[in-house]
Amino acid sequence: MSLLSITELQGDLAAVGAALRAVTVVVRNGGARDGGRTDAGGHGSGIVWTADGTIVTNAHVARSPAPTVVLADGRVLRARLVARDPRRDLAVLRIAPEALDGVPLPRAVIGAPRALRPGELVVALGHPFGVAHALSVGVVHAAPGAWPPAATGASPYVCADIRLLPGNSGGPLADARGRVVGVNSMVVGGLGVAISADEVRRLLAALARRDGRRAA
Amino acid sequence: MSSTLEALSTDLADAVERAGRSVVAIHARRRIPASGILWRDGLVVAADHTVQKEDDVRITLADGETRASVAGRDPSTDLCILRLADGAHGEPATVGRGALRVGQLVLALGRPGAAVTASLGVVSAVGPEWRTWRGGRIDRFVRLDLAIHDGFSGGPLVDAGGRVVGLGTSGLARAAALAVPAATVDRVVDQLLAGGGRLRAGYLGIATQPVRIPEGVRQRLTPVDGRVPEVGLLLVAVEPGGPAERAGVLLGDLLVALDGEPTEDPRDVLALLGPDAVGRELPAVIVRAGAPTALTIAVAEHPGRS
Repeated sequence: MSLLSITELQGDLAAVGAALRAVTVVVRNGGARDGGRTDAGGHGSGIVWTADGTIVTNAHVARSPAPTVVLADGRVLRARLVARDPRRDLAVLRIAPEALDGVPLPRAVIGAPRALRPGELVVALGHPFGVAHALSVGVVHAAPGAWPPAATGASPYVCADIRLLPGNSGGPLADARGRVVGVNSMVVGGLGVAISADEVRRLLAALARRDGRRAA
Repeated sequence: MSSTLEALSTDLADAVERAGRSVVAIHARRRIPASGILWRDGLVVAADHTVQKEDDVRITLADGETRASVAGRDPSTDLCILRLADGAHGEPATVGRGALRVGQLVLALGRPGAAVTASLGVVSAVGPEWRTWRGGRIDRFVRLDLAIHDGFSGGPLVDAGGRVVGLGTSGLARAAALAVPAATVDRVVDQLLAGGGRLRAGYLGIATQPVRIPEGVRQRLTPVDGRVPEVGLLLVAVEPGGPAERAGVLLGDLLVALDGEPTEDPRDVLALLGPDAVGRELPAVIVRAGAPTALTIAVAEHPGRS
């Protein structure tokens, strides 16, 4: 332990924060026409999942068929709601390719939620109460599948001892390397609960199959 | 990006894994089970307020289940010991007995079900020995900046090396996570085992009320512990045949010193009546009709303390 340097620690944390910031967007339910200022449905956070404009957020954040997405670089873009799964509290948005001019977006590096160990450090990024790109740090509270306590091993949640607030919803929960392990979704008894990145993978795979069938 | 942050993260997870082997779940209340620590071979320590059953208590260990019976309770420090039915089972905690420092990282572990849970915080305040609201002696005051989740009470507080430095309890203070230091747990476990499951308490057979000592009386007192006390304890009840009466104490006497210490608060007397006090002869100074008098009171064992 004495080998750890607090300066290096802070530097590493700042680097993880910066990496997450680049892939965390603001999701608003208002229109893009007025710069997303109409805030009728409230707002939350989202994660840039693919470089071609797939954004993952919570179902309870994305309530409009055409939400506005504010990228980390300040660009305000109209997105399209392509999937909404209230049971998993996940939603998938897509930014129109023409809006990106073919320039790939910085995208999240996805981690392995099933490998998380209790006590491991986790980092959340989001926009709590409208404060853009706020960082919080905590630890994994329970091993994957062990929360809620009555779960039988198929729990879709990552549970962390971390301070989350409204506006963190839809934003990334990441491990100490900055790899996204979950989508922050709710606070239960003071614990931060994220939807496992594996659930997102499953949802996106189902979506790809659906689109494939349509194309065929 | 292998980093210091990752190294710390791995250390913390290793500490949880190591200490988690000695954390058990105690199914002795409704709803969510409480946590306990396998402190010695076959002996679990828990927070007393969470154990609402005496016998046939179901225990979830790191590697299975067993049953236990309550082997002793000390509500004054909120500690309870349980003996596992099938003797030694599992791996007792590695206890760290070094001094805790403000700012030190601590993990609070629990087992509110089958799996271990962890929370991270820091030691936020460390103070001297203190008395709980129920009169129990805790060797150090240790307050934690840490979120209290299900399973906190009775679970271990673990340092970054995986050593158990105390037991977490929310039963001794409102809205604050406190630690019962390992030294206190060690002492209370020993006393409970020696006392057949309860802490012996000293007994004088008196009830007192603090009163200001009149200036004229103070001038006749010799200093106690370097100063003349301003407040004494008026004896408002003296049990017939009790230790104080046998020593010659009368109703209406003013107790100003006991065992060389000023007695300005009933808690000053209680502090001298711990488990080790039974059988001791305590010198006392009382004021009767304005005149100081020296007596010796033999401490008896409290007849009805549970």
